[in-house]
Amino acid sequence: MSRLSILLVKEIRDIFFTKTGLLFLMLVSFITGYSFLTAVELYSEQSLSAVNNPLYARGFEPVPGVFVPTYGGLFVLFSLFLPFVIIPLLSLEKQNGTLAVLIQLPYSFKDILIAKISAAFFFLLMTILLTLPCFILWQLYGGHIPFNELFVLISGYLLYGLFVVSVSFFAAALFESTANASIFSILLIVLSWVIDFGKNMDVSTFLTSLSEWTVTRNLKYFEQGILSFTASMYFVLLCSFFFILAYILLRFDLRIKSKLKRLFATVVLFLLALFISFQSSLNTDMTESHRHLFSPAVTKALQEIPDLEIDVYMKKSDSRFRDYQNKFLNKLLLVLNDIKIRMMTGRELNKNYGLFIYRINGKQGKTYSNSEKEIFPIIFKLAGVSVGQDNGQQVFPGYPLVIKKEQLTIIQSVFYLVIPLTLISIFVFKNFKLIRRDNND
Amino acid sequence: MLKISNISKRYLKTVALDKVSFEVSEGSIMGIIGPNGAGKSTLLDIISGFQNPDEGGIYYNDQPVSLFKEKKQLISYMPENLTIYPDYTVAAFIDFIQLATGYEDPELIKTLNLAKLKNRKIRHLSKGYHQRLKLFFALSNRKKIIVLDEPFNGFDPVQLIEILELIKEKNRQGRTFILSIHHLYDAEKICHYYTLIDEGRVVTTGSIETLRHKFGVEKASLEQIFIRALQ
Repeated sequence: MSRLSILLVKEIRDIFFTKTGLLFLMLVSFITGYSFLTAVELYSEQSLSAVNNPLYARGFEPVPGVFVPTYGGLFVLFSLFLPFVIIPLLSLEKQNGTLAVLIQLPYSFKDILIAKISAAFFFLLMTILLTLPCFILWQLYGGHIPFNELFVLISGYLLYGLFVVSVSFFAAALFESTANASIFSILLIVLSWVIDFGKNMDVSTFLTSLSEWTVTRNLKYFEQGILSFTASMYFVLLCSFFFILAYILLRFDLRIKSKLKRLFATVVLFLLALFISFQSSLNTDMTESHRHLFSPAVTKALQEIPDLEIDVYMKKSDSRFRDYQNKFLNKLLLVLNDIKIRMMTGRELNKNYGLFIYRINGKQGKTYSNSEKEIFPIIFKLAGVSVGQDNGQQVFPGYPLVIKKEQLTIIQSVFYLVIPLTLISIFVFKNFKLIRRDNND
Repeated sequence: MLKISNISKRYLKTVALDKVSFEVSEGSIMGIIGPNGAGKSTLLDIISGFQNPDEGGIYYNDQPVSLFKEKKQLISYMPENLTIYPDYTVAAFIDFIQLATGYEDPELIKTLNLAKLKNRKIRHLSKGYHQRLKLFFALSNRKKIIVLDEPFNGFDPVQLIEILELIKEKNRQGRTFILSIHHLYDAEKICHYYTLIDEGRVVTTGSIETLRHKFGVEKASLEQIFIRALQ
C-alpha cells in the first residue's frame, strides 16, 4: 500500500463513516425516489394518449421526461447540502489542529488536498450510484434508456458536483470556522441562481450577459443532451481554479505577499483560459431524436455555407431573441461553430430594432422574422446552396410508457426503505463492532 | 546546535516576539518558560515552521533552515491545541501514523500504556491519555529535534513521572527537546537549560546554575528565579 493510498483510505473513511455523510446519502435516496416517482407518474399519465398516436408519441423521450426531473432533486441537494459534508473534511483538520499532524507525516500540502478531493469524488460517485436503481426500475417497467444521452446527463451532474466540492474546499481553506465556510460556499453556489433569476426578470443587461457564464447555464447543455466542449471546459477550469485557490490558502508556510502574488496569478490565468475556451463552441447533439439539430438535408446544406455573419438588432433580454436563440441559433451553432454574431447597440439598435441581417460572401439579406422557415431561404439564397430532399431517414418513434399505479410502489420500497435501511445497517454495524470491542477493553 | 536568531513577529500592532535569540545545544532539553501570553507558543510555531517570522531566522549547525520542507525533516512538533481525530479509535490512529511514517516503536506504545485502550474512541479518552496519544505522534519518528508545547498538561503525579522518564530516555537516545512548560516545578525536574520569555522578549537564558548566579540567588528554585527575573 503506497503512502498516498494510506492517506486516501483515511479520507474515504472520514467522509463515508460520518453521521453527516450517512444523512446526506439517505437524503439523496429519499429525494431521488420522490423525484423519480413524480416524474414517472407524470410521464405515464401523459403517455396514455400517445401510445396509439405515433405522431404524438414522437415527443416522448425518457431523458428530458423522466431522468432530468429526477436529477433535479440531486441538483438541489448538491447545491444546498453537499458543502456541509465536504467542508468538515478540511475545516475540522484546521480547527482540531490535525492538519499539523498530517503535514508532519511524509505528505505535502498537495498530497493532502489531492487525497481529500479524491475522497470527495468517490462520495460523489456514491451519490450517483444511488440513482442507479432508477434506470434498472425503468428498464424493468419496459422503458427505453438512451445510453449516450444519459451518459451526458450523468457527466454534467458529476461535473456540477465537483464544482460544489471545489467551492467547498476553497471556503474551508479561506475560513477558520466550519459554519462560516458553509454559509460562504452556499452563497457562492446560489449566486449562479441569482444571476439567472436576474436574467429572467430582465433586471439589467450586465446580468443578462453574465448569465452566459453561470454554472446553471452551462449545466443546461448536459441536461439537454448536448455534449459541449465549452461547457465541459468551463467546469474543468472552474473546479481547477477553486482547487488551486484552496491549495494556496492552505499553505501556511507561504508569506502573505507570496500568497497574494500566487492568488492574483491564478485569477488572471483562470480568466484568460475561460475567455479562450469560450471562443469555441464545439457541441454535439447526443440525443436519439436529434432534437437539437435541423433535418439532415438542411444540416448538409448548412455545412456547405462558407462564412456566415449575423447582425442582431435586438436586446439579449428580449423574449423574441430568447426564442430565436433557443429554436434557431443554438441549433445553428451545433452545425456551424464559426458564425460571427454581432449584438448591435446604441443608436443603430434603436433605429433598426427587431432586424436580423445575414451576410455571406459580401452579400446580405434582411428579415424581422426569427423563424427558421423565413430565415433559411434567405441564407441559402445568399450562399447559392440548394437544400436536397430528406429521403430514407429514420423517424424518431418516441417512447411513451404507461405504468400501472400498483407497479410504482416498488419505487417507494427501494428508495424509502431498502436503500436507507442498508445505509443505516452498514453504519450501525461498523459502530457496533467498535462499541463491543471498547466494552471488552 | 539549533540557533534561534533575532526572531520577531507582529500581529497588526501587537508585538508577539521581539528579536528573540537563544541557542539549543544538541542532545539537551531546553525549557521555554514564561507567563501566559509571553509568546511561547508563537515561538514554538515559528521554530517548527508553522508560522513565518517577520524577521530573523533559524539555523541548524550554522546552516539556515528557512523552508518548511527542511524544518519538517528535522523537527517534530506537538502543538498545545491539538485534538486528535475524536471519532477514531486509538488503534486506528496508531496504525495510520505507523503506516504513513513507516516507523514502528512497540516500546513507545508500551511505555505510553496505549495498548490497553486500543479499541476505545479517542473522544472517550481522559485528558491524560489524549496527551499520551499526542506524545505518541510527536515521538513516532526519527527526527532529531522534538518540540512539545505544554506536554505535561492533564497528567496526574504518577503519570507525570512516567512521562518525564520517557522524555529523559528519548533524550538519552540522542534527541534534542524544546519544551514549553507552564509549571516551573515540572520544568525543573527535566530541563537542562531554560529560556525565560516575557512580553515577546528573552529575559534570560541558561542552565539553572547560570540563572542562580546571574540573579544572585544561590540555592533558589526555578520559581524563585522566575519571580526575581520578572521583577
